[in-house]
Amino acid sequence: MKRYKVPCIAFINKCDRSGADPSRVIAQLHSKLGHNALAMQLPIGLETNFQGIVDLLTMKAVYFEGENGEQVRIDEIPADLLASARDKRNAMIDSVSLFSDALTEAILEEKPVSDELIIDAVRRGTLARKLTPVFMGSAYKNKGVQPLLDAVTRYLPCPADVENTALDRDHEETPVVLPSDPSLPIVALAFKLEDGAYGQLTYVRVYQGTLAKGEVIVNTRTGKKTKVGRVVRMHADQMEDIEAASAGYIGALFGIECASGDTFVSPGINLSMISMFVPKPVISLAIFPKDNKSQINMSKALNRFTKEDPTFHTHVDDETNETIIEGMGELHLEIYVERMKREYGTDVDTGKPRVAYRETITQRADFNYTHKKQSGGSGQYGRVAGYMEPITEGEEDFIFDNQVRGGSIPTQYIQACEKGFQQCMAKGPKMEFPITGVKVVINDGASHAVDSSDMAFQAAARGAFREGYAKAKPVIHEPIMKVVVETPTEFQGAVMGLLNQRRGMIVGAQDEGVMTVVEAQVPLAEMFGFSTVLRSSTQGKAQFTMEFALYRQVPQSIAEKIAEDVALRKKSAA
Amino acid sequence: MKKELILRNPLLQLGFETEDILPAGGFGAVLAHAGVGKTALLVQLALNGMLRNRNVLHISLNDPVNKVNLWYSELFHHLAGSYEGAQISRLWESVLPHRFIMTFRVESFTVPKLKERLNDLTEQGIFSPAIMIIDGLHFDESLLADLNDLKAMAAGTGMHAWFTVHTHRHESPGTDGLPPSFSAVAGLFDLVLELKPEHADVHIKLRRGGESTTAGVALLLDPSTMLIKDPI
Repeated sequence: MKRYKVPCIAFINKCDRSGADPSRVIAQLHSKLGHNALAMQLPIGLETNFQGIVDLLTMKAVYFEGENGEQVRIDEIPADLLASARDKRNAMIDSVSLFSDALTEAILEEKPVSDELIIDAVRRGTLARKLTPVFMGSAYKNKGVQPLLDAVTRYLPCPADVENTALDRDHEETPVVLPSDPSLPIVALAFKLEDGAYGQLTYVRVYQGTLAKGEVIVNTRTGKKTKVGRVVRMHADQMEDIEAASAGYIGALFGIECASGDTFVSPGINLSMISMFVPKPVISLAIFPKDNKSQINMSKALNRFTKEDPTFHTHVDDETNETIIEGMGELHLEIYVERMKREYGTDVDTGKPRVAYRETITQRADFNYTHKKQSGGSGQYGRVAGYMEPITEGEEDFIFDNQVRGGSIPTQYIQACEKGFQQCMAKGPKMEFPITGVKVVINDGASHAVDSSDMAFQAAARGAFREGYAKAKPVIHEPIMKVVVETPTEFQGAVMGLLNQRRGMIVGAQDEGVMTVVEAQVPLAEMFGFSTVLRSSTQGKAQFTMEFALYRQVPQSIAEKIAEDVALRKKSAA
Repeated sequence: MKKELILRNPLLQLGFETEDILPAGGFGAVLAHAGVGKTALLVQLALNGMLRNRNVLHISLNDPVNKVNLWYSELFHHLAGSYEGAQISRLWESVLPHRFIMTFRVESFTVPKLKERLNDLTEQGIFSPAIMIIDGLHFDESLLADLNDLKAMAAGTGMHAWFTVHTHRHESPGTDGLPPSFSAVAGLFDLVLELKPEHADVHIKLRRGGESTTAGVALLLDPSTMLIKDPI
């Protein structure tokens, strides 16, 4: 809520159950969650005696009658609650007067305070996230629900109150503010895909312009143009055909090929609602279907998930023939395994999660390798010389630089050399992790008029890579996650201890009143099962978020352990 | 590279010969109006400490962790700007574990609370600071007892502390040249520096303490990078 600056209102449910105590909940909203909670209602009776509520705004009692509480009866406040209701209303007006000069003026001048003045002040405070109006009732019995829905329309922001930004892809993803104006060109985000009986249903939120039937829209990611066919408005599982969805509305489109997170715009603009940067996966998991039916459904599910989520990948391991899923964290993959079971009825077993380590070199090393083979028939000959060094600038994984002069390696074999080197990048010679950040420069070589070939130079390049790589002090890099734990202050010492035990580097601790936010960088390999440990150490009161931050070199002792694990895995695979 | 950066210690350039001018339990203060460069100067002192493998605890009462982090990252990259990218990144990664940022809301900061937090860190062996930077504390007489307490604790753990002192234009200095709100506690401070903007530069002036060997030499803060200008 805080991260996305979402204004809050609160609803205290189950006022008809035993132990219900709204005033205690309001106090906890203050003390535990740090909200400036303000009661807008008073309960009339509690637990089995819960009858309705007193609306402190209109100073009326509201009862919910009929089988489903659908008949709202407004009456006078019961005499025994009147004094307390007056006190609470005065306290409420006093608190919200902070957000409205007109209201303060009316109070000071002892003028009558109108409902509109109060509503305006509460709305201002709520939108500024400085106030959380509290409502109460029993949702199951439909008691208090109607006033809650009124509060949603009164106090929560309408799309025009919120500033939305898109990224301008023509100007290095500079943020651009989108006015919620239906007459401007379309900018809409596809935020959810659903596979229904009539094909893919794409839910879109329109941020600017009007998405109408027959409009041409462009998918910013793929550049593909599409004509809008059917636009519908969803009501739970019912849909209603509409002509257009304008800025601020959520609609759904049929028959649009896209992935979740794609942005649709009018032709001629190049805006994106979310960054086009897709990080590489940092964790993988082997999955095994339990039976043949599951096997078929699993491939359907994987096909859908990869479409929905660009950070979710899947492939089949050449050596073990296992299906591997890859993503951005343990929970990320767990959710997909669960969805496979729930939505596709696929029973799968999972292997142990594996961290996506990488290898790289730390110093320059020369190579000079000759590939020579003469075993009957035409032979193979190629010599490749040069050096490799770490890439120090930029984000590229592999750079190949041809500095051969005088034709010591004929031009037609240079491409074969590059291919040979590139093949080695996929799997390091030592640990078999992908190699990144290597620049290969070739400056000499030799060929044979008869025995040299593309194959021979590819093999020579592979040999040269292995020779140079061994001398270039290779190291393993591991993914480091940015972990942010929000914990009640009394547990912050324990939380820091937990992070420290996991080779975490604590960046800082931020005091946020009753809560403390601890930010740390922790290796992903140490984060498995962290949520359970965190829960048990903080009485379930702390929560954490985790996102990929960077790759960092693995300490020597851990590198040795990884090497042992890799050797063991190779042995068992063999 | 590390050694060269250490040699750019702002204090050495101020004319002090020792690496840490403040003794254990010593307090230093940097006085200036808002926006002149108090935090920048202290972050440079902190970075110098980190480069010498000294643990720095940075306590900010104004800014969130991310913003403090940005100060360090920006100043370090300015400082090391002449070196190549990978070398800077490696050194940055290696000095980062020597820093711990703690932020408090001004109204909720108390010395007993700080001591409690520090105990959490040291008792679990998470972090033992050698240098403490406190940015954003409002000074007045009521702080005297707490600061005395903090000084005793710092002396006990072999730590020294630097503070920023925000001076106000409406507050005329007392006879000692220090703002009256700070004078009440100034006796606890071993070293007081003042930042004064003059023309296009910010002058760093020694107001109290220290044994400057090159007293009188103008030391300037470059307002564009907030780094101390190299002596000509």
